[in-house]
Amino acid sequence: MDRLSNLASQLAPNDASAVSKLLEKHPDDVVIVGAYRSALTKGGKGGFKDTTAADILTAVLKGLIERTGVDPKYLGDVCVGNVLAPGSGVTEHRAACLAAGIPYSVPYISINRQCSSGLMSVDHIFKGIKTGDIDAGIGGGVESMSINFGPGSVSEFSDFLANHEEGKKCLIPMGVTSENVAEAYGVTRKMQDEFAADSYRKAEAAQKAGKFKEEIIPIKTKFIDPKTEQVSEIVVSEDDGIRPGVTPESLSKIRPAFKKDGTTHAGNASQISDGAAAVLLARRSFAQKQGWPIVGKFVDCAVVGVPPEVMGVGPAVAIPAVLERNGLTKDDVDIYEINEAFASQCLYSVLDCKIDPAKVNPNGGAIAFGHPLGCTGSRQIATLIQEFKQYNKKIGLTSMCIGTGMGAAAIITAE
Amino acid sequence: MYSFRTTGFNGYAVQYSPFFDSRLACAASANFGLVGNGRLYVLGLTPDGIVAEKWFDTQDGLFDCAWSENHENQIVVATGDGSVKLFDISLSDYPIQSWREHSREVFSANWNLVDKSTFCTSSWDGLIKIWSPVRPTSLSTLQPPGGQLSCTYAASYSPYNATMLASCSSDSFLRLWDPRAGGMPTNSVYAHNGAEILSLDWNKYRPEVLATSSVDRTIKIWDLRFLGNNSSSSASPVNELLGHEYAIRKIAWSPHAPELIMSASYDMTARVWIDSTALKQPSTTFSSGRQPARRPNAGLRSLWDKHTEFVVGCDWSLWGAEGWVCTVGWDEMVWVWDVRSAVVQ
Repeated sequence: MDRLSNLASQLAPNDASAVSKLLEKHPDDVVIVGAYRSALTKGGKGGFKDTTAADILTAVLKGLIERTGVDPKYLGDVCVGNVLAPGSGVTEHRAACLAAGIPYSVPYISINRQCSSGLMSVDHIFKGIKTGDIDAGIGGGVESMSINFGPGSVSEFSDFLANHEEGKKCLIPMGVTSENVAEAYGVTRKMQDEFAADSYRKAEAAQKAGKFKEEIIPIKTKFIDPKTEQVSEIVVSEDDGIRPGVTPESLSKIRPAFKKDGTTHAGNASQISDGAAAVLLARRSFAQKQGWPIVGKFVDCAVVGVPPEVMGVGPAVAIPAVLERNGLTKDDVDIYEINEAFASQCLYSVLDCKIDPAKVNPNGGAIAFGHPLGCTGSRQIATLIQEFKQYNKKIGLTSMCIGTGMGAAAIITAE
Repeated sequence: MYSFRTTGFNGYAVQYSPFFDSRLACAASANFGLVGNGRLYVLGLTPDGIVAEKWFDTQDGLFDCAWSENHENQIVVATGDGSVKLFDISLSDYPIQSWREHSREVFSANWNLVDKSTFCTSSWDGLIKIWSPVRPTSLSTLQPPGGQLSCTYAASYSPYNATMLASCSSDSFLRLWDPRAGGMPTNSVYAHNGAEILSLDWNKYRPEVLATSSVDRTIKIWDLRFLGNNSSSSASPVNELLGHEYAIRKIAWSPHAPELIMSASYDMTARVWIDSTALKQPSTTFSSGRQPARRPNAGLRSLWDKHTEFVVGCDWSLWGAEGWVCTVGWDEMVWVWDVRSAVVQ
């Protein structure tokens, strides 16, 4: 019966084509040498409330270089995403690079595509390596929402723009776009609360199990006690936004924040947080020559535009775009790290793409531990790299919605 | 389009006669080739449709056939019992020659298009054998390196070089051979990342180009100039054709156009593709340049979905209007159709 078993093996489910191609190793791949982050702490209250973005960034860059053992003189570029600081922190973050021990010969650039900035920075380095301009580089993201969040972070619109039918849509508050998504696509309050409670539950379990330990670089900083105004030195090594014991019932009691009869509230939206993350990338051939560790591969990143008034649907458009470009299906991906800007939009995107919810944010998301805007894109990569090991998975996809109407999605594989 | 039913026998291979524009050979097996007899059909294309001019029954299933390139009446067949048989269609019932050297199923037979006096066979015993119809034993045997031999699903002569062969195996290797250079392959490429390679074919216009098809549902186009040295795992195909939903059992380049290739798959379709690399010079990409992602069905030109079971064999007509092909499948059907009538919009 050799013939039968031979035939059966030829008919067996075979995922070779696109998937195996994805996992192939070639010298010109862009690999991830290391990806780490700071803890994420509550804006205005948490461990980094008195620490500037540049200082958090300095510590994370330093930690990344130490943990990967890379000599920073080989870096061809450093790119850091930031949304709120004036000029996206281009001056103080260059200083942060120097303070972290990166020589002046390594250039620096700030990047800002709103909540995807931390992914765009990595994509910028990825493209530099792919085109052959550089051999290695750091893409990262940082945000201090404690210090830089507020009306000052957006320049005023001219009367012309503020009254332009399309242009003015870019001024719609994010919370209102969340309500728009919920209303347009029928994502009920109950669904959102259940999704949010699940994020808390997963994050709580992951934190208890020590699943964030590997990816977090502990940072020593100063902290002013809000009551006594005493300055003390603390080490921030854990996300402090994760509330234990959150249930859909407890969330159901919170009042909507943006509309009287709305569905979005403080408990099912991302938290305002501070934090930084950074990813060191290199061409595989270069990393191998230098003897650097290789923990993942950055495969591709797609960015798309969507209507500004429902900007939260970004992932629902970006995820299929990046999958199709690489010949993959949604089921080929093992883990999705999708930013939970709002339960409404994240859940909508998951449902619209028909993604198995069990594959989404296995260690919880921004609703549970925060969304420091510019940091998130890099943070999700740091988390994904650890999740590959924790859940023994190979193919990851990270995605987020982007204010003013965009979506980004990137494919990353384990090594 | 025309059809013929191989009642009781499931088609495995089909080939147009190189001598007559109205004659086809079809190798078929009872019970899907799992157990039972085989039958070689000689089919005539007549104004009244396709008729069986003759057939020969064999004890075990037939998996491939190849017309002789220098004798219009002779056909060699690959048999499940390990034998290689030569039939003369002007005679009846029995083969004029039968060679028993392969120890397992013979899976492919291919006549040398340049030196028309030899043909080769490949077998599940791993070996490739070179034969002359007038010799009682094989002329030589090619054995892939390594201990446990894997099934060599196909071996095929270059249409440009009388002593150059390519073979493909279940171990995912594409191998090139030149028997003059000794018993080892002149090149080995790990071509489908572990998946079995079921078929290969040499391009008829580009001497350095050949294609492989695999259980991984892809067709890969290779340029021999870019393979690198032995078993370079980093060799990349110059093109990939994606879209079949199951293993691709047979591929055949067009005899009329350098860019057209046909495929037959377990997904019950036969497809014709345009290999875009034939239409332009190979691009001189940056050494670190990124290959464009290949989209499913990019290059798909025609699709034939009349078969209701696995499509296992296919061949192009050398004759008449360009575009006539023949496919054969496990639905006991031989279809002769025009790829221009099945164009995908």
